Amino acid sequence: MSQVSQSSQVKSQVREVSQVSTPMDSVSVGQPVPPVSFTPDEVTLLRFGAVTRNTHRIHYDTAFARSEGLAGPVVMAQLHGCLFHRAAADFAGGTGRVREIAWQNRAPAHAGDRLEVTGTVRAVDPVRGEATLDLVEHCGPADGEGPGGVCCRGHAVVVLASAASVH
Amino acid sequence: MATELDRAEERARDSIGRRERRSLGAVRAEDAAEFARASGETAPHLIDPRHSRFTVHPLYVVSLLRPVPGPGPDEVRPDGMYRDEVPGTDGLDVRLMAGGQEVRWKDEVRAGDTIDVFRALTAVERKGSGDGFLLITVEKTYRAARGVLVEVTERFIVR
Repeated sequence: MSQVSQSSQVKSQVREVSQVSTPMDSVSVGQPVPPVSFTPDEVTLLRFGAVTRNTHRIHYDTAFARSEGLAGPVVMAQLHGCLFHRAAADFAGGTGRVREIAWQNRAPAHAGDRLEVTGTVRAVDPVRGEATLDLVEHCGPADGEGPGGVCCRGHAVVVLASAASVH
Repeated sequence: MATELDRAEERARDSIGRRERRSLGAVRAEDAAEFARASGETAPHLIDPRHSRFTVHPLYVVSLLRPVPGPGPDEVRPDGMYRDEVPGTDGLDVRLMAGGQEVRWKDEVRAGDTIDVFRALTAVERKGSGDGFLLITVEKTYRAARGVLVEVTERFIVR
């Protein structure tokens, strides 16, 4: 039964990918970065660990994770990175691209936690056609109220489409 | 009396600047698509290798810890981590955690690229109170035949 509900949970996370580029002249400091979210469960962590050949027990062995002082299996750092990248790529849109992302792990996120990356535009560089985004990831129980605690902070640099190439 | 953490620190400091090379093999579109799916992506150009605009997920290569066919049994610590993943910790009873990363793309990673990763430990810091913990910084460069594709600064926490 729980497998069915987990599978449904993953399927419900299908997102619309923007094919529309974000033009440089439409971006301003303080502008919010639209949130992206994901709820990786135990199956997700197993799949992600297998494809990256990450065999560290803290990601799938509950007893071992607890022996390390964790509440249970934890989300891989690279999976946090994927969500940061997705937030930045969605902000840049179709012909924009992500040039850089960075994140620091602040607290562990566990299997079943809902992860959400949000942010704001920190700086805009019209000469380089780039914007720097401050990003933060919250994590907490999928059925909990509110965004949960901060598990990662970081930033991204995106190269945006010029107004001329968009219009 | 030196602790395991002290020994890890001493070893790590001794290896600062030592450059290592590892092959990650050729990038296969099917593997990159599997990675994208496992990370929760649903964008067709990332998850369908037959898509006309198929793109290798930008984080695929930098997330890959070993190439096919995977590690041998003597390459893995009791905690499941690779013995050489965090410099200075091989054989020591210390706990390892990821601290964060900075990823800088210089060029697109393409299916068919054969990837070599060069890495060097660049900093070892003792943090916290009491025994505290080590913050180890490793710089990585991912290269294909046409040049540098990605640069990564990765930090590990050793307790």
